[in-house]
Amino acid sequence: MMQPKVNILERMSGTNAGMTVPDGFFDDFNRRMAASLPKQEWETEGMAAKAEPRSRWQKMRPYIYMAAMFMGIWCMMKMFDLMKTADHSDISSNPVLMSAIDNDAFYYDYCIPEISEGDIYDDLYDQGFDPGSMIASANK
Amino acid sequence: MADKNTTEIEEKLLVKRLQDPKTCRKAFEEVIGKYSESLYWQIRRMVQSHDDAADILQNVFMKAWSSIDQFRGAAKISTWLHKIAINESITHLDQQRKRQASAIDDPDSHLSDMIESDQHIDGDELAKKFRKAIAMLPEKQRLVFNMRYFDEMPYEQISNILGTSVGALKASYHLAAKKIQQYFEDLD
Repeated sequence: MMQPKVNILERMSGTNAGMTVPDGFFDDFNRRMAASLPKQEWETEGMAAKAEPRSRWQKMRPYIYMAAMFMGIWCMMKMFDLMKTADHSDISSNPVLMSAIDNDAFYYDYCIPEISEGDIYDDLYDQGFDPGSMIASANK
Repeated sequence: MADKNTTEIEEKLLVKRLQDPKTCRKAFEEVIGKYSESLYWQIRRMVQSHDDAADILQNVFMKAWSSIDQFRGAAKISTWLHKIAINESITHLDQQRKRQASAIDDPDSHLSDMIESDQHIDGDELAKKFRKAIAMLPEKQRLVFNMRYFDEMPYEQISNILGTSVGALKASYHLAAKKIQQYFEDLD
């Protein structure tokens, strides 16, 4: 009696053709594989940064330096501006001094007493004053 | 349809996580869990030996991990991994052929030897003959047959992996199936 032909493709469909794997192979493999993945470059960089956390001062330092630099520049600009506008040789540009000079009472009270008698004589001699002629006219 | 959309969304999310350095490792561990089994069987059907298949599978994931920054998500993750797996399997078989003196007369006879010496089998003699019949196929036909018959992979995906037209793949599969049937008829 002839045996019926076996359709091998139908028979083996949905199988692994007799091949097996050890129990728990895939779970074990997945675990070992995940653990053996080498560190990527970006992960190493990330870890290095993580190992040395930056202090608050280190984080703020660049901003503080930058602020100090701007402050310095501002101070320099301000100083140049003051040097440029203030002309100390000309008292007419100083309103406080000018008002003091224009005030006669102030001038006589504070400026005149400062002048010594010697200065007055020097000034008179410079203008051609002769004390001898003054004595002679008094004796007449 | 809904399942297909969900799978596509999941795939896109997984690709995004693979491209983000912060989530890359975790996502790749998921990839290992998701694809290790299908890749293992694809490799095992090519190289026959369990130990070789396990080693090659490890190489596949190592290669994928080392070039993860080049993966842009243009192809599906599975397609990308299957391509690596096929290349690794073919390289392994080439090296094995070169090592064996018998390669001069019968390049694929070592596969039959592998099937005979394989420790991880269920003892089904018909299944062993089936594996031998597949092992006799030319390499490309064997690849196409394995992917279509065992993995039930769509021809379009096989086409993306192997870079061959769908028509040529269909012809290749039918030719392989015919050869296997013929092998069993000759045995009878």
